[in-house]
Amino acid sequence: MTESVLDLDRVVKTYGDFKAIDNISLSIPKGSIYGFLGPNGAGKTTTIRTILEIIKPSSGNITILGSDSALDVRDRIGYLPEEKGLYKTMTAWSVIQYFAMLKGLDRSSAKNRAWAMLEKYGLKDFGNARIESLSKGMGQKVQVLAAVAHEPELVILDEPFSGLDPVNQTVLEELIRDMARNGQTIVFSTHVMQHAERLCDQILLIARGRKVFDGTVAEACATIPRRVLLETAADISSIIQLPGVVSVDRDTESSSERADGDTGLWLIEIEEKVNPQDVLRHCFDHQIALSRFEFSEPSLHDVFMHLVGEQAREHSFR
Amino acid sequence: MRVIALIAWREYLDNVRTKAFWLTILIIPLILLGMYFLQSALSRATPVRHFIAIDQSGRYEEAVSIAVEREHQRLILTDFVEYLIENRRETNLEASPANATNAANQLIDDVDANEVAALDEWLDSGGLNFALAMATPYLKENIQPFEQPDPPFVAVEPPAELDLDASPERIIEALRPYLSGEQTIQTESGSVDLFALILIPETVDDGIIRPGDLPAAAGSAAGVQYWARNLTDVRLPDAVQAGINAEIREKEYQQRGVDTQTVRDVQRTRMTLNPLDPTAAAGEEAVSLADTFRQFAPIAFVYLMFVSLTQNVQYLLSNTVEEKSNRIIEVLLASVTSNELMMGKLLGIGLAGLTTIGTWLLSFFVFIVMYDSAQTDLIGEVLEVILGSDLIPWFVFYYFSGYALYSGLFLAVGSLCNTLKEAQAMMTPMIVFQIVPLAMMAFVVMDPNNGLVRALSWFPLFTPYLMMNRAAANPPVVDVVGTTALLLVSIVLMLWLSGKIFRLGVLRTGQPPRVRELWRLLTATA
Repeated sequence: MTESVLDLDRVVKTYGDFKAIDNISLSIPKGSIYGFLGPNGAGKTTTIRTILEIIKPSSGNITILGSDSALDVRDRIGYLPEEKGLYKTMTAWSVIQYFAMLKGLDRSSAKNRAWAMLEKYGLKDFGNARIESLSKGMGQKVQVLAAVAHEPELVILDEPFSGLDPVNQTVLEELIRDMARNGQTIVFSTHVMQHAERLCDQILLIARGRKVFDGTVAEACATIPRRVLLETAADISSIIQLPGVVSVDRDTESSSERADGDTGLWLIEIEEKVNPQDVLRHCFDHQIALSRFEFSEPSLHDVFMHLVGEQAREHSFR
Repeated sequence: MRVIALIAWREYLDNVRTKAFWLTILIIPLILLGMYFLQSALSRATPVRHFIAIDQSGRYEEAVSIAVEREHQRLILTDFVEYLIENRRETNLEASPANATNAANQLIDDVDANEVAALDEWLDSGGLNFALAMATPYLKENIQPFEQPDPPFVAVEPPAELDLDASPERIIEALRPYLSGEQTIQTESGSVDLFALILIPETVDDGIIRPGDLPAAAGSAAGVQYWARNLTDVRLPDAVQAGINAEIREKEYQQRGVDTQTVRDVQRTRMTLNPLDPTAAAGEEAVSLADTFRQFAPIAFVYLMFVSLTQNVQYLLSNTVEEKSNRIIEVLLASVTSNELMMGKLLGIGLAGLTTIGTWLLSFFVFIVMYDSAQTDLIGEVLEVILGSDLIPWFVFYYFSGYALYSGLFLAVGSLCNTLKEAQAMMTPMIVFQIVPLAMMAFVVMDPNNGLVRALSWFPLFTPYLMMNRAAANPPVVDVVGTTALLLVSIVLMLWLSGKIFRLGVLRTGQPPRVRELWRLLTATA
């Protein structure tokens, strides 16, 4: 079993009657890229703050880099908070230097590191610019660099992609992969599933402070049945007898707009082990004339919508 | 510790780099310089005033011209004493008695007190020439010779066409254009503005008021008429009134058969009063000028403390609010503990405050060294007395304790607010706390161990100011020990509390908490 850098054991954080974190346990292996996913207000930021001991849990244990307290190992952690901000009157390089120094680097190596990172991630020309003169996206990049300049073993990024344009999102993904290759462990939170899908070895999905899912992306996708979409005028009720078919339902939502008169859209859920070709072969064998056959692997987006969609929608209207 | 030093240094640089910091540093020396130069420029710039005196009664003309001459002599005398102080061989403040028994200072005191005889004594003893001869042995060598000031008031002849025997109303009518500045008067040395008209009508003696008389009704024309647009420069009317009063009193003495010489002698008889200090060692009871300074020095310290503390804690407050609204605080808190952050801030901003005070003191010294004159000598000596006094340790202690207490308070307030506007609203009552001891400053120096002052000294927020204020007056030991202990306890308590509020407050968003909520935050175990 791989060494773990962060363990949460039944962590609870309450504010009065409100449970911001409700009994979360997880374990993050060294060198992995780990995603915290969840709708707005799910408790991602609170979980991160609790891990960093900025706030203390009401109950439960946290072991981080082998220590009970994040404060004891804070020099080995890098953190980018959700809401970004830097000293406006400082220059980009001196901000990176300052935070690296707070994390234990000496003055000159902090300075060298600052310039090296600015150059590598395309900000060399802005190194001497004041933070207030940078665009929001550039400022955020500087802040990411400031958070990781001391080459921490554990990097925790809260919503690192928000506010970045597609090009800089790619640059940030590159930075995260670089760090993982370097043996550093990266935890980041996001509600953009594509980033998690592309980057994460493992994800944690939380909603209303509760753990909904914890595992690899593939495992996450396996939690929801794979779906085949059929369009036909024929009767397809026999498909349900095929082994591995979970359900056959009329896709009422889509049919009203897309199917014409006598044809109907059908949604067939199948188990993971089933080959979708079996469904197609069944249709040929039973002379079911298809005007459409679609099969897609479920995406993390589908998983997310399936697992927490209802709660997220509810939350947004609260 | 390394982290605290790092934070402190950044805060220091951040503060020192602001324009406001330099403005504060420069403003005091600039005001000082400005005041000094403005004052000396103004005193030299006061022009010679020309006036017309018309005496229809024929009885007071001489009295008026004597009064005007006296005013001139007074100016010569004041300038001369200043010249004397500036150029005498040595100035030893410890040795110069506070009651100024030396002849020159006594003379000035008397002249200022409008003692009739004082100027006569000066004139009798030969005036300036004699004084110069007397003073020369005590003056430094190779100094600028004394320059006699011009007479401040010069009488001019009325215009030739004016009928001096006409009724006062007609004379005023004729001279009105001159008095209002529309026309100038021709003199031997060219045309000049008319500053004033002193008109003594035939019936002037009707204006004499004796004990038991009702004062003249407002607006009545009885007595001497003084016509002038400028009613703020009262030197001329005062001198004329004093001169004429001396004249009528002289007549009064004669009428009542009193010998005027006797009266003069009586008026010039005086008793010396020696202020003595019962707490000083035997033989050193005499209160010197330096002692007087020392007694007033606490005011300077209290004021210095107030200005510096106010500047510092306000900076601390706005800095905390800014860091909070910028969300920098969260990054910091992942790297350092809230206590380290707080201590770093207190240290860095306190250091900036010390820089301000240091720069002020330095600029005083530079100012004194560069502009060596009687006044700056005096400032220099005052400064020497203050810096050499045993008040310095008190000041250092109360400055730091006051800073710790107030900054703890303001830091807590800052951490609860999201915008500077919110913070300022919450700050007003805090400022009021500082104003109270400041307003009492002069009163406390005069009566340092007064019951109310003693009681108020026990309130920790007042302690640094009031005890500093009282430091020179040997406050009772129980006050010193008790208030110091209470102050130290409250500082520890305040820093602990504000550390707690700080930790909880900095991550808070939304409205500042209500009192009940605040209490819950404080009593919570988080």
